[in-house]
Amino acid sequence: MIYFYDGSRDAFLTAFLLAYHDEDAVLTSGGKQLALGQGSVFVKADPARAQKAEKRLAEFDRQCLDEISTILRSGDLDRDMVAFRYVMLISKLQKPIRSMLSEDAVIAATECIRRVGFEVHRFHGFVRFMETPCGALYAPISPDNDIADLLVPHFRARLPEYPFVIHDVKRKKAAVYDGSHVFTAPLDRAEVVLSADEQAWKRLWKDYYESVNIPSRERLHQMRGYMPVRYWRFMPEKHSL
Amino acid sequence: MISEERLHILTESAKFDVSCSSSGSKRKNEGGMGNGYASGCCHSFTPDGRCISLLKILLSNDCIYRCKYCMNRADSDIPRATATPDEICELVCNFYKRNYIEGLFLSSAVFCSPDHTMEQLFLTVKKLREEYNFHGYIHVKGIPHADERLVRETALYADRMSYNIELPSEQSLKLLAPQKSRESLLPPMLHLQRDREIFRAEKRKGHFLPAGQTTQMIVGASPESDGTIVRLSQSLYRNVGLKRVYYSSYVPVVHDSLLPENPAGERREHRLYQADWLLRFYGFEAEELVPEGGNLSAELDPKCDWALRNMHLFPVEVNSAPLETLLRVPGIGARSAYKITEARRYTNLTFESLKKMRVVLKRARHFITAGGKFYGTDSPAAVRELLIAGEPRDAVQLSMFSDIETAHSALTGEL
Repeated sequence: MIYFYDGSRDAFLTAFLLAYHDEDAVLTSGGKQLALGQGSVFVKADPARAQKAEKRLAEFDRQCLDEISTILRSGDLDRDMVAFRYVMLISKLQKPIRSMLSEDAVIAATECIRRVGFEVHRFHGFVRFMETPCGALYAPISPDNDIADLLVPHFRARLPEYPFVIHDVKRKKAAVYDGSHVFTAPLDRAEVVLSADEQAWKRLWKDYYESVNIPSRERLHQMRGYMPVRYWRFMPEKHSL
Repeated sequence: MISEERLHILTESAKFDVSCSSSGSKRKNEGGMGNGYASGCCHSFTPDGRCISLLKILLSNDCIYRCKYCMNRADSDIPRATATPDEICELVCNFYKRNYIEGLFLSSAVFCSPDHTMEQLFLTVKKLREEYNFHGYIHVKGIPHADERLVRETALYADRMSYNIELPSEQSLKLLAPQKSRESLLPPMLHLQRDREIFRAEKRKGHFLPAGQTTQMIVGASPESDGTIVRLSQSLYRNVGLKRVYYSSYVPVVHDSLLPENPAGERREHRLYQADWLLRFYGFEAEELVPEGGNLSAELDPKCDWALRNMHLFPVEVNSAPLETLLRVPGIGARSAYKITEARRYTNLTFESLKKMRVVLKRARHFITAGGKFYGTDSPAAVRELLIAGEPRDAVQLSMFSDIETAHSALTGEL
């Protein structure tokens, strides 16, 4: 049976309970091609069921619920099955399994969590804010994983006096810090007016970027490895102004 | 706002400094802007493959010294500029706010006098912290011969400070950087270290170099062997408590009968960094890696080289060898060693499971058994051949690019 769900944690946990005894279960929140002869069902989040699953899993391993949330944020197409196989093994063994590092389900889950965490770390560096006339900051991003709101605590801690918006243009949502509260909201397109000096600081940053490079030691391959081209879209230093 | 031209001059003169790390400080935000990020953070990467973490800039490049290898030396014909403390502070805050940088790496040529230079550096970071309310990362160069009180005051505002050792021996220093001496470099480092320990022991309020001290030296401008350099680094780590030693391979910029004609090549620099890592994270002693007057192998990384000289210790069984032993297996790094020690608590590891866990076996297979099975080659000579054939070539190729442009760049232009 194929279990479609909307990608949310509650729906995942509901689907997990439904699929528990189904040996051929396939969980998916993306557009999975239907195999011939395979039945399918659309699973809606059922808070009561989700809570039951949550409670059960927490008995075996409290930390795994956070791990599942992280895996479901992944942009990988097989994230649903990675999370499913991981919780299935936890339920089977009835204990934490994260250090069983030669188990396939654990390897896949660990890798997935590592990639999401790594992208969060990268974006702590790669986010580029622009300043608006009132001093609020705006940063468009287009990450592989759904991490916009995970970036907020880091920037809030270092820029507590600056309201900011981190806009995931791919997923059309924004993580917002208004100076005291944090929330997320759907956001398709944003009209941003820039402060008077914004262009000049961007210009200086580009100058700096060019001056600090050592042209005779060109290692483009290495640069792209550390800073993949797909992330350049919103970095002023990688564009001519 | 600082002009593009002066920013260019002051960056151009600072860019050969190799230390850029922003790790080690957990400074909190106390109103205003910024905090520390203990693991460090890279904000961009330049086409030369290096990371931009800190705004690396000189306060001035107008130097009164004549270090033979440096492009900022007094008799060099280059454009000169000096920034004001406010220009630097404003630049840092505006770059930081936009998340371009993690903080400031402030260095300077010695202008007017060592004391005057150190005072200007001090005033700049003090201003940045107190007037601009900046709590991000700050790395400041120590100026040799500067008043000790000024240096100590600066340390109260900086996250990290560094004196550059410049060259691996006193003789070379005398020859190539006549205005500097061991006397002007080592004691200030030791004093900072002592003051830092006192500050911590007394649990005083505030900060005193939370990210410690580092240094850097030029390799290949003078005749010291790798053996001497690795021993020097080891003693700097152990006796002076440094966090990092950076090496930068010499490239000729200036013709001088005292300087070698040819660049040192980046392979040597690379091998020294590998040895450095083995000292700091893998439990090796300098004595195990290279004899006093000798050099590290060019063909093999220092861990492989050591293992081949100590074949009687191998192979080791991955299912039972202690962590310290696993860390000494060529090809097994800290992360793989950790994965192995975790995974083997639940099951017997085979070569299959190691592969699945992405432990790289190309080198390691000659030095380990998994469940008693051995998939390597027995004869040390044959292993050596295989390992040399498998070495990446990159490190050598780089020296082929040492043309005029590299030459112009040469200089670890710090200070």
